[in-house]
Amino acid sequence: MLRPARIALFTAASVALTGSLAACGAGSGSSAGGSSDAFSAANCQGGTLRVLDSAKNSKGFDPAVLYTSGGGAIPRLLFRTLTTRQSVPGVDGTKVVPDLATDTGKPSENATVWTYHLKAGLKFADGTPITSADVKYGVERSFSPQLAGGPPYLRDWLVGGADYQGPYGSGNTDLASIATPDASTIVFHLRKSEGDFPYLAAETQFAPVPKAKDTGKEYNADPVSSGPYTIAGFTKGRELDLVRNPYWSRSTDQQRLACPDRIDVSLGLSPAVINQRLSSSVGQDANAITTDTSLDAPTLARVSADPALKKRVVTGKFPQIYYLAFNLKKAPFDNQLVREALSYAVDRTALVNAEGGTQLAVPSTTFTPESLTAAHQDYDDFPAGATGNPEKAKQLLAQAGHPNGITVPLAYDTDDTSTGAPAATALQQAFAKAGITLQLQPLSDADFSGTVNTPATQPALTLTSWGADWPSGGPFLTPIFDGRQIVTGGGNFNLAQYNDPAVNAQIDKINQITDYAAAQKQWAALDAQLGKLALTVPLYEEATSVLTGSHVKNAYLDQWRGWYDIATVSVK
Amino acid sequence: MIRFLLRRLLGAAAVLLALAALTYLLFYAMPGDPAQLACGKSCTSDQLAQVRHALGTDQPLARQFWTFLTTLVLGHGFSTGPSTVWCSAPCLGYSYQSNEPVTQMLVERLPVDVSLALGSAALWLLIGVGTGLFAALRPGRWRDRVTNTVVLTLGSTPVFVMALLLLMGACVWLQVLPFPNYVPLTDDPAQWAQNLLLPWLAIALVSAAGYTRLTRAGVLETLNQDHIRTLRAYGYPERRIVLRHAVRGALPTVVTVAAMDIGMVLAGAVFTETMFGLPGLGKLAVESASTVDLPVVCGITLLAGALIVVANTAADLLHAALDPRVRI
Repeated sequence: MLRPARIALFTAASVALTGSLAACGAGSGSSAGGSSDAFSAANCQGGTLRVLDSAKNSKGFDPAVLYTSGGGAIPRLLFRTLTTRQSVPGVDGTKVVPDLATDTGKPSENATVWTYHLKAGLKFADGTPITSADVKYGVERSFSPQLAGGPPYLRDWLVGGADYQGPYGSGNTDLASIATPDASTIVFHLRKSEGDFPYLAAETQFAPVPKAKDTGKEYNADPVSSGPYTIAGFTKGRELDLVRNPYWSRSTDQQRLACPDRIDVSLGLSPAVINQRLSSSVGQDANAITTDTSLDAPTLARVSADPALKKRVVTGKFPQIYYLAFNLKKAPFDNQLVREALSYAVDRTALVNAEGGTQLAVPSTTFTPESLTAAHQDYDDFPAGATGNPEKAKQLLAQAGHPNGITVPLAYDTDDTSTGAPAATALQQAFAKAGITLQLQPLSDADFSGTVNTPATQPALTLTSWGADWPSGGPFLTPIFDGRQIVTGGGNFNLAQYNDPAVNAQIDKINQITDYAAAQKQWAALDAQLGKLALTVPLYEEATSVLTGSHVKNAYLDQWRGWYDIATVSVK
Repeated sequence: MIRFLLRRLLGAAAVLLALAALTYLLFYAMPGDPAQLACGKSCTSDQLAQVRHALGTDQPLARQFWTFLTTLVLGHGFSTGPSTVWCSAPCLGYSYQSNEPVTQMLVERLPVDVSLALGSAALWLLIGVGTGLFAALRPGRWRDRVTNTVVLTLGSTPVFVMALLLLMGACVWLQVLPFPNYVPLTDDPAQWAQNLLLPWLAIALVSAAGYTRLTRAGVLETLNQDHIRTLRAYGYPERRIVLRHAVRGALPTVVTVAAMDIGMVLAGAVFTETMFGLPGLGKLAVESASTVDLPVVCGITLLAGALIVVANTAADLLHAALDPRVRI
């Protein structure tokens, strides 16, 4: 399943420190950096990389609490997981590869049991060996209410996960569906087929945690590292200093190059200052990157006009769709003709302009965006053209029994820079031409998910977005269109509240497929099939541009998350 | 004096209690659920209930407030999961979002605001009193007009614009200073001062205008008084008249306003902290409010309230010390 980008907005470390949030992607797959010397992976070690981040509410580095995509940016330097993303530019960066494990997992015939064997010679930063019990304990503690905040999949997928409350407390029980027959083997028993399990195993919840060193809520300030770096100093909201973990070795880790000797992260900086520092690249800032601050429209225009600066800009896309969500339980959206009318009336050019222009947003008529290449299939069932087709919309509304138009509320998140007031206003103006009056219903970030993701309070129409936790159609489509995912008590993302047993069965069937390419083809076909029902109005996907300092080498946006893969960056 | 201080102490306790109660009430009237934010967007109702229980937000409002007060006075044990840690009084609780003791968060950030307030106050007093005096000695002349125009322009500049201008000027164009990166005074005093110079200037240049006007008006008023005319008639040197008598006339007001302004900066200078990336109380307050982190917001509110009460008391004491007509 997937993670909405918004979650990253308030899962502190994810925002700043994991870079898993929104935005860019490895569309270009190009490497940035102003230094003229060629990059050599064999000879890239040395120097200090500086990271300039805005990271508002850093929760620290507890692998149980972090909500990342593919292990995030900085957390991936500290935590190794059973699997991880392949650290290469371009579409190959969406592949899952072994990390602590010897392979990406051996599934049972119906993909309900997944077995992993750990590599030999793995050690924590304190020199103790990493065992399968440490991985099991890491997963188990992510179920604790004290350490809430991580992705929901484990609770849904693991046998007994729904009722398990972690290893703390009086019961102090373990989760029987995770077996560790020996120190290097771990077996996960799932309650249903999940062909995507290897992708989930790249999340930080699969990082090993030594039980003896677990300090619960306080573990976030000084976790025991299994990755190439360990924390030398950390002041929340101010700075993080990483130094090499002497027990990490490239011989057991083929994905992280770990080029810099030190990584100094400055937290809590203003985005304007970050971009100014990166563009001026003065002194130590020549060795700087950011893991959470992209260029806004005016800065991008200025930077693009300067050939020297332009060379240091990397652009790409993160697989995330911005869309209008209908609540089919509320009139008038129980009528497909009305939903189609809105699909025709939408002016995607105005929306793209509201986002800052074509360099920052690209129109999309499909729910699964083009940047989720493997699971994408082109379709445009209700062709609105570039600027909308209000006449066709009026005609459909009349057919639906609304010859004088309709008035509907539109909920949106005021704190979301992408789906906030500019986009809502652009929609309002476009829909007015078709006789559709939108009453804007602004909600603060703290209030948005509680209102929108609870069916009892969900408005009839919502402007929202959905991003990929990993590059697959499964986490993109399942939470949005699987009827069994409708959660009445909150945390519901099937905003259409659509429940078709035939579609649910189709989803189950695709989840049994463990061949990635074959599964993605099926997801793409399902997306096109659902598109005909006008359950949503796909609007646009975002593009992102990011600057680097002038001495930074091998900085590319990985296509899994759409942000720098900091594990491969060099400053030497 | 002792009666005055005791009265102030009692008043402060009442003000702080009211502030804490108001903060609690406001938070519960506002939309947003801290448990929802801590749990994440994909949180089910069962998980949410568990998180609410872990945070203590499943208790009635009055009970939560009472727990907050008793924790503040007596301390409290908090479960971290595998163990329980004891938070000694004055304990402000545990942050909902960052999972750390609030007192520790405030103690880490207060030195930033103390550094910011004292350094910028020294500068704004120097600039404000200096230019005020400079203007007052030739009222209506070109230097008075130029000074007024300059300080008014600086005073009308929003602090974030001033911050950006200083950053661009000093760090990009002239490259005489690195981009600020807070270094504690105890780590390296020279680096501390170098990194805070621009934030100090940003606050001081914007704030100095008020002090220029206060000083100018105070000095002019005093210079027009009878005793100054008498001193001049006796042939006292003008420099002595200005420095010993005229400036002294303006000082009580300047000091009173400065004490209160220092209190405000101590309680958090949001824009300055944000623009210069300083990890102070102001930024923490804004971030905590947006994530409905009630214990942190309440802690900052109480600390800010206490600092402002202390600043006001200090202003009253200084005013009395400088002006013998005032009795406390």
